[in-house]
Amino acid sequence: MNAKAKLEERFKRSSMVAALLLVVVAALTLEATSLIQYYYAEKGLKEEATKRAESQLENTKFKIEGVLDQVEATIRNNVRLTQWGFGHLDSLHMITAIIVRENPVVSGSTIALVPGYSRKYPLFAPYSYIDQETGELLSSSLATEEYDYPSKEWFTKPIELDAGYWSEPYVDVGGGEVLMTTYSVPIRDAKGNVGAVLTADVALDWLTNYVGGSKVYPDAFNLVVSRKGEIMVAPIETLVMRKTLQEASKDFENQDKVKAITESMLNGESGMRVVQGKTNSSHVYFAPVERTGWSMSVVIPDKEIFGEIKSIRRLVELLQVLGLLMLVLILSFAAKSQSQYRVMSEKKEKMENELTIARGIQMSMIPKTFPPFPDRNDLDISAMVVPAKEVGGDLYDYFIRDGRLYFCIGDVSGKGVPAALVMAVTRSLFRSVANHEHTSSHIVNIMNKSMAEMNDNNMFVTFFCGILNLEDGHLDYCNAGHNTPIILSGIRRMLDVIPNLPLGIVADFAFKSQKTVLKNDDGLFLYTDGLTEAENINHELFGEERMIEILSTRRDASGHLAAMEKAVNQFVGDAPRSDDLTMLFIHYIMTEPGVIKRHLTLENDLEQIPRLSKFINGIAESKNLDEDLAMNIHLAMEEAVTNSIMYAYPEGVSGDIEVGAIVNDSTIEFTISDHGMEFDPTARPEPDLTTGVEDRPIGGLGIFLIKKIMDSVTYRREKGVNILKLIKNIK
Amino acid sequence: MEVKINKQDDVTTIRLIGRLDTPAAQEVGKELTPLQENANGTIILDCEDLSYISSSGLRIFLSLRKAAAVKGGKVIVKNINDSIRNVFMMTGFLNLFEVE
Repeated sequence: MNAKAKLEERFKRSSMVAALLLVVVAALTLEATSLIQYYYAEKGLKEEATKRAESQLENTKFKIEGVLDQVEATIRNNVRLTQWGFGHLDSLHMITAIIVRENPVVSGSTIALVPGYSRKYPLFAPYSYIDQETGELLSSSLATEEYDYPSKEWFTKPIELDAGYWSEPYVDVGGGEVLMTTYSVPIRDAKGNVGAVLTADVALDWLTNYVGGSKVYPDAFNLVVSRKGEIMVAPIETLVMRKTLQEASKDFENQDKVKAITESMLNGESGMRVVQGKTNSSHVYFAPVERTGWSMSVVIPDKEIFGEIKSIRRLVELLQVLGLLMLVLILSFAAKSQSQYRVMSEKKEKMENELTIARGIQMSMIPKTFPPFPDRNDLDISAMVVPAKEVGGDLYDYFIRDGRLYFCIGDVSGKGVPAALVMAVTRSLFRSVANHEHTSSHIVNIMNKSMAEMNDNNMFVTFFCGILNLEDGHLDYCNAGHNTPIILSGIRRMLDVIPNLPLGIVADFAFKSQKTVLKNDDGLFLYTDGLTEAENINHELFGEERMIEILSTRRDASGHLAAMEKAVNQFVGDAPRSDDLTMLFIHYIMTEPGVIKRHLTLENDLEQIPRLSKFINGIAESKNLDEDLAMNIHLAMEEAVTNSIMYAYPEGVSGDIEVGAIVNDSTIEFTISDHGMEFDPTARPEPDLTTGVEDRPIGGLGIFLIKKIMDSVTYRREKGVNILKLIKNIK
Repeated sequence: MEVKINKQDDVTTIRLIGRLDTPAAQEVGKELTPLQENANGTIILDCEDLSYISSSGLRIFLSLRKAAAVKGGKVIVKNINDSIRNVFMMTGFLNLFEVE
């Protein structure tokens, strides 16, 4: 046993001895008081009443806090989404609908813009709510002149306090006269300005049922009043929301005492007072709900407390046993939690290690070799992640399939291991879905559906996905709430995007895709908000203007990113980086007119040869090549590709083989490339064709035919890629 | 790709129909390897309906030819089209086979 374990053992033993002692002492004390209590029954009964009243207050508070927590969490979870919505005002409505639809406690929600925040709308407050009668989710707007939301308490208070605020309760006259309250929080934009107030309406019918229905004694009753004294729950229903506590208690006897109690309650104090009347007197217990400013009270008539003096003894004994049991429970729980705390601090150290590992795994999931396609002369791609101190959830990816570049960039909400995990899931989903789908909207819709269905943590991903046809520059893209990419085509401008919604929020959302065409030499710059929202020491943001300024100098893909990184570093200086910064640059180069470019991706399987045949036939037809020439080219290409299929990758390992063709009027230039083992087929000796049958080697015919048929055969190895180039003159 | 084999006394006629590309050659190779047993007689490769041949197809031809050389038989290639004749010429196969 090492020293640490010994110490722990000793700690455990001494705390157990202490606990045992405590229980024994408590038992003795209780036994002694029991004797005294028998004689001082009144005192005991009073304590009993206090206990009941306090636990009633405690339980009520617990119940209320539970609902408040739920509502506050709902709002908290949607703060980021709302911030995102500042850039997409048309989507705010959707967000309020989501809040109401996904949270049964919330019966209405609005996002009310600060007047003047939007240049387009002086007032803007989309509102979603559940119709009390039909249960339907309806939508409307609070931005009407009659309603004048900027003057309402729910709007002004949270801004004034710069914190979440629970409104005074009110009766919703719209349907069924339900008692309601509203929770509202100010939402700041990326620059730190308050842009809107986000609210959730909560019906309080459960409060009436719960508090009104549970009584500590048959004739006792409960009260709940708002911070201004409005009666929310009372035994006489006609008082609810019609009178304040001050008004209702006016007619009571012993006015001084009653007034004092009312004042204490409205001041948020807790305590107990006895009110003496002529015929009867009562014990009044009260306690506040700090968050909402409400006050609860339990009123017990004295005749209830001291009515059954004969059964005290048994009651007291029972209570003692219960008390003791509770003490044992509490003590064992305390001992356990203390040892848990020790385990936790050890875990913390381990967790920091795990965070480093999470970061490592995350980084290994994104492509990092540049240029990624050294065999292509029509594409220049560069990407970069500048990590923040904390693990974030940025991702990008790209690959080429059948002459199309599939690419994406995304940003998971939140930070830490959960964000890293969602990032990993998103990247895997993109790979598996994009491998079978041909349009960006299909890819995004499928990804969104599976992410929304497993999204228990309210996380979401802003995502941009594109498919660039490298033959003609047609770009099909779909934006899921991500930052608008910049297109560098003569002038630098924002790409025209529909924001849609981020991934993972609404499973059946129909994402819309868009199309544009990239011309020769056009660039596409994608980034995450870590770039535009990079902050310097004065809390200024890097912003889109600076970003576009950097992009207006002509550079290649990696040059753009290096310049951007340098500019951000200069701007941020020593300020801490709070978010990952990710950038992806795609530079498209189209070959001159009259030139046909084709591309094909094959798996290393001989069954793929018919696809190659189709590919070559297509090229032969487009150039009207005569049959013999077409067959020769076909033969040479089949030999070259077969070579790659058979020998590039070890047996049982699957890999891709890329075939490219650039055809002009006089030549066809083929490129066959793979990521397999280094192998130069041109280095093989030529078979001797003059020997007789017996000495004739059986292999080596393939590469020999290639050399015989093609006018130029060259091999090079570049960045782990075998590149075989075949040129045939066709004039 | 289709192969029709007809045996009459010591003459085996093999009709090759279609494209003898690399995947096809894998199948055809399995079918024709047993015929190396008959290489002491005459093997006729009838290429009237053969439109294309790759190096792996050529290898099958060469294997049969080698077996015949060992066993004292002969291999005759019949009815090849111009494109395939051209491939035979490039690879020196015209000197190895009796081409009719």
